[in-house]
Amino acid sequence: MRPGRYTDQGPYDLFRSLLKDAITRWNISPKMVDGLLTSPSGQSQGQTDAYVHDKLISEFALKPRFAETMCLGGASFGVMVNRAMSAVREGRANAVLCIGSGKFLKPSEGSAEMLAKTIAEADFEVPYGPFIPGLYALIARRFMHERNITREDIARVAVSARKWALLNPDARMYGKGEITVEDVIASRPIADPFNYLDCSIPSDGGGVVLVTRADIGHQLSDQPAYVKGYGEYHACGTISGADVLNETGAVQSGAEAFAQANLTPADIDVAQLYDAFSATPLILLENLGFCAPGTSGDFFNSGACDPGGRFPVNTYGGLLSYGHTGDSSGMSVLVEGARQAMGQAGARQITGAENVLVHCYGGMMYDHTTLILGRQP
Amino acid sequence: MSGKPVPEITPLNRVFFEGTAAGELRLCRCMKCGELFRYVHPLCPECWSDSFDYVVSSGKGKIESYTVMHMPPYEAWAADVPYVIALVRLEEGVRMMANVDMDANKVAIDMPVDVWFEQRDDVFIPQFRPAG
Ligand SMILES: [Zn+2]
Repeated sequence: MRPGRYTDQGPYDLFRSLLKDAITRWNISPKMVDGLLTSPSGQSQGQTDAYVHDKLISEFALKPRFAETMCLGGASFGVMVNRAMSAVREGRANAVLCIGSGKFLKPSEGSAEMLAKTIAEADFEVPYGPFIPGLYALIARRFMHERNITREDIARVAVSARKWALLNPDARMYGKGEITVEDVIASRPIADPFNYLDCSIPSDGGGVVLVTRADIGHQLSDQPAYVKGYGEYHACGTISGADVLNETGAVQSGAEAFAQANLTPADIDVAQLYDAFSATPLILLENLGFCAPGTSGDFFNSGACDPGGRFPVNTYGGLLSYGHTGDSSGMSVLVEGARQAMGQAGARQITGAENVLVHCYGGMMYDHTTLILGRQP
Repeated sequence: MSGKPVPEITPLNRVFFEGTAAGELRLCRCMKCGELFRYVHPLCPECWSDSFDYVVSSGKGKIESYTVMHMPPYEAWAADVPYVIALVRLEEGVRMMANVDMDANKVAIDMPVDVWFEQRDDVFIPQFRPAG
């Protein structure tokens, strides 16, 4: 679903549109879908709905043997794929619909205060006036200090995301033109080291994936994506409690996913790395083993991650230029990874993309999931 | 009345905020294993012992990371921008968040800082300023 500003639509309106969209793409019916995973929608509006699956089962007239509402922020969708796979492997479901929608109010409309109070310690963090960009900034500043990453290096990530968005008609910044490192640094300061163009774009939207048996996958698509490896790690759930800011849970989740897939970073052709802010793909490139410590800035500066580069990153524009759809943000990262593996990424398709890495995290880089998708099992 | 958030006193943090009211920055100390930690854990994070007392921190530390907030997240902070939020590593090894009351252009990692206590309503919250 194209991200945008759907002011007249609530989370459930988005869920309905998403299901209709999925039905037009895949030949699925209520009898065939016997699993449902979803996540709360509308948290930036102060709604944490813990029983989304019940409402969707009723609305969509499903009779699933397997269903749950999951809440791990951006990591929810990586986790969904893993839980759905387990259910399919155990024979508890044949086809699991994973669906997420999200509304993301502008910070200036009150969401900054609400989200800060949701995500930070009430007595030892909230009194100091943090909000989400400021909390990420604490991770980014330490990373820059220890790894000799410059302000220009992190701005370059936003420049790359914009280049990709210009190839994706669904991206919020499609048709808006290229930006430069200077543009990023000259944009409105938000929370040092982040300026406006270092931040993702609050949007409404969502997405759907179907996790199913290989034989059903081949009935629905000429080229389904296979899950080759998965890793998950849950690091400390507050910034003050996270003792090491440079080494996120991506270190553990990445190592687990590579081991399970029996692959190394050198085997990956394209990566989708959750980019709530411009610095996070650099941290993830280093934590996942794609770049030695301190070299991720040079890697991006070389153009390696841009269109035409040797290691494309966030080929749909990322949250930075495609849009951050609130509770469903991680879904766009996952969907683009699946599309690249399935050869359905249009003008931005990476030819011969055999193995695709998808990394989603939730909270302030608390919950981490790494998926490795491929064209072959 | 600034409208800035005031911590709620809870059974978990009561000893801490009794300390700040008395001009002390207290750290939990596990009586079983000696671990020092913040008043956010109901049990020792190393050994899950529930018997602990406290030590009084020197109140000296270094900035481990920081941000300068240019956009106030809500109205209560509008008069303060640009303001510094830092993670301060205390001499005792424990790390905590606070504002650093200083010229935001001069903040830097590893800068030594000293604690002070800001009164909000009837609660005193620890804050830092450049050492000196
Ligand atoms: Zn202990």
